[in-house]
Amino acid sequence: MSGDVVNESRRKFLLGATSVIGGAGVVGAAVPFVASWQPSAKAKAAGAPIKVNISKLEVGARMVVEWRGKPVYIVRRTPESLAAINAIDSDILRDVDSEEASQPGYVKGSARTLAGKEEYLILVGLCTHLGCAPLYRPDVGAADLGGDSWLGGFFCPCHGSKFDLSGRVFAGVPAPTNLEVPPHSYESDSVLIIGIDTEVA
Amino acid sequence: MSEEKGFAAWLDSRMPTLKREWNRHMAEYYAPKNFNFWYYFGVLAMVVLVIQLVTGVWLLMSYQGSAEQAFASVEYIMRDVELGWIIRYAHSTGASAFFIVVYMHMFRGLMYGSYKPPRELVWIFGMTIYVALMAEAFLGYVLPWGQMSYWGAQVIISLFGAIPVVGEDLVQWIRGDYLISGITLNRFMSLHVVAIPIILLALVVMHIIALHDVGSNNPDGVSIKKYKDAKGNPIDGIPFFPYFVIHDLVPIVVFLFVFCSILFFMPEMGGFFLEYANFEIANNLKTPEHIAPVWYFTPFYSMLRAVPDKLGGFIVMAAAIAILFVLPWLDRSPVRSIRYKGMFSRVAILMLAAVFIILGYLGVKAPTAARTVLTQICTVLYFSYFIGIYFWTRIESTKLEPDRISMDGGIGAWKTIGAILAVATMVILPIKAVGSEGKSCGTINCDPFEAQLNNDASLQRGAQLAVNYCMGCHSFKYSRWERVADDLNIPHQMMLDNMVFSGQKIGELMDIAMPSDRAKEWFGATPPDLTLVARSRSSEWVYTYLRHFYADPSRPLGVNNKVYKDVGMPHALLDLQGLPECVRGSSLATNGGVKRDLLTGEDVLDNPCGGYEINKAGSLSPEEYDAAIFDLVNFLTYIAEPMAEQRKHIGKMVLLFLLLLMVPVILLNREYWKGIH
Ligand code: FES
Repeated sequence: MSGDVVNESRRKFLLGATSVIGGAGVVGAAVPFVASWQPSAKAKAAGAPIKVNISKLEVGARMVVEWRGKPVYIVRRTPESLAAINAIDSDILRDVDSEEASQPGYVKGSARTLAGKEEYLILVGLCTHLGCAPLYRPDVGAADLGGDSWLGGFFCPCHGSKFDLSGRVFAGVPAPTNLEVPPHSYESDSVLIIGIDTEVA
Repeated sequence: MSEEKGFAAWLDSRMPTLKREWNRHMAEYYAPKNFNFWYYFGVLAMVVLVIQLVTGVWLLMSYQGSAEQAFASVEYIMRDVELGWIIRYAHSTGASAFFIVVYMHMFRGLMYGSYKPPRELVWIFGMTIYVALMAEAFLGYVLPWGQMSYWGAQVIISLFGAIPVVGEDLVQWIRGDYLISGITLNRFMSLHVVAIPIILLALVVMHIIALHDVGSNNPDGVSIKKYKDAKGNPIDGIPFFPYFVIHDLVPIVVFLFVFCSILFFMPEMGGFFLEYANFEIANNLKTPEHIAPVWYFTPFYSMLRAVPDKLGGFIVMAAAIAILFVLPWLDRSPVRSIRYKGMFSRVAILMLAAVFIILGYLGVKAPTAARTVLTQICTVLYFSYFIGIYFWTRIESTKLEPDRISMDGGIGAWKTIGAILAVATMVILPIKAVGSEGKSCGTINCDPFEAQLNNDASLQRGAQLAVNYCMGCHSFKYSRWERVADDLNIPHQMMLDNMVFSGQKIGELMDIAMPSDRAKEWFGATPPDLTLVARSRSSEWVYTYLRHFYADPSRPLGVNNKVYKDVGMPHALLDLQGLPECVRGSSLATNGGVKRDLLTGEDVLDNPCGGYEINKAGSLSPEEYDAAIFDLVNFLTYIAEPMAEQRKHIGKMVLLFLLLLMVPVILLNREYWKGIH
């Protein structure tokens, strides 16, 4: 090598510049590979919003529909259950006001529904603990679920989590949060759409 | 080293191999300082290898290797998987790029005698890589399950049938069926994805180890090991890391620029990288009109065709590759590099390059008598190089090799340009001499068509026409309604009300209700899916086709077509256009122009169907009909490659970015290399 002095600071600067820009390039090149793991158009089509006719649902009954491969529970609550939801002893629930719950912004109150639609409870039927499908147990006072204190709700058989008839999780069970309310809206009084948000003015 | 501390020392004391190998192959591997342009292609081959591995892994996430699903799953990757088209085009472009790079790398070896002792093993490992790469490329080309996949596989597998006695059984064993089928596809996928890549990687490692054990050759072909400094390192060498790593960044960025230009702006590369016929699903009952392998096989394919005998052709083709393996023992020259070989060697190597390119060119063309003769001449010349080198390298007088490498050796810029021109002339002249092309659209020339993919109004009208007039019989089953609605700015509800067939959801594929076996009964053949027709046939072809139906009472449906003679399709747009009837008109001369009378200069009206007249008018005037056909073909062009506009847009940004990256890379290279003489 000749006697040319090595300009260390210039080398350092250029190495830095090349690494930064080159690094940005690597990140850019990674975009298609990351993006291609997103749900494809096929998956999205299969997960498209569904319409449910709820006019035949009897008071106190529950129906299960499939949306994005998940069970969605639709429960038509009785006036007594609605009263019970409001009256429930807030100490036995972990998150009475659903502050940590995954639910759309237009879903309000202890009923966890759209205003005026309190009768119909719509929940993703997957336990927030590890994803089992909780059982619908509307039978008030069920002996195996705590007798008199049980006002109806959901019970997860996997690890024993309990939820009230608004899908709110009990304190002291493994499930950490309330059951999820999916995005939904009403096309008419009898037609419910799951997967499309209600537009809030 | 003593100043090492922290993690490096911790690692080194536990796993000294890492550092030892790093030093052996990078930090203390001394490469000759006088590497030139030709020495970039080794590292570029590594870059392409990485691209192929990564994109290949990702493609396999969405590809389905069954005869029923393979073709559709490739279109699924192109359309439904987010940015999946980039990954697929990168892989298809990478396949061709691999061969370009490898051919250059091999030619470098030929020029500078890199195969000569002591590097025979390096060369043989390299040649084995080349053969494995050909196998990998061939197997991979079958996977999309298009017409070229199918018939290319048919031809190549049938080659083995030329082997005496066992041939036919061997062919059947390779296929695993009585024809090429999903069974064949499955085993090819396994080989392409698992077996050959493992072999390739192992060979690459061997190639590099073999090279680093004996040291790199260089353009002068003289060893750098003779003169060493006090530490025992060659004074004419320089550590690979950091010097050559930084040096190689420049060609890598240039390469990526070219690579991305192709990927984003011409992914089909005029039908060379992605053959048009491969946009049509495999059909075991119909061979495409013109079948040629992908360009990187065509030199050898030409040689196969040059021999008018099945077994002979196979032997010649195999020998053309095999003879490269023994090259180290054929070249008996006392010097390695072309720089010091005699005049004869220099001319011969240029001739070899030209011959190889001509053979490649002829291999993609349909054979004619003149072309076959040229192929035969080139085949003979190809072999005479390798046989002749055994003799002339002993006879010709060589120049004296220098004692040490030279930094300014070589023939210089002007002579390099001269050599390229010489090769170009040797390629172009003979090809011109045997040239002859048919008409581009059946019996006539194509009408010009320029798509307007940003013209939403036209695309919307075209979509409406396609749904109303084409989708009675043809499906667009690789596309989804929703995608079309979104791309063409059609509101979903409007799309649902006016276009989507009842019972279908907007997210569904644009399939039709007509069962294909019933259709076959009615029309004699299932009406083909039209999603990709503008890619498999070209937009011009479809445009011309739709404008050249004419009355022909001799045909069962009463119409014929000039582009697609004796087509089985009725004139679906009859009520729009009316029925054109033939009138006398001019015809095309063999040179492609209109035939004229030599004396009067007027057109010769010798064609019984040189023009049309419409007696029973349709609902549209001729101008309106042309405009409608334009809209329809515009839509067909869009739907064949719905991401075309997005592709170019992303491409521009990528190229701009690479230009930006080029700046520090060039400066960095200059900074590190300014003191090296
Ligand atoms: S999954 Fe429901 S309690 Fe564990």
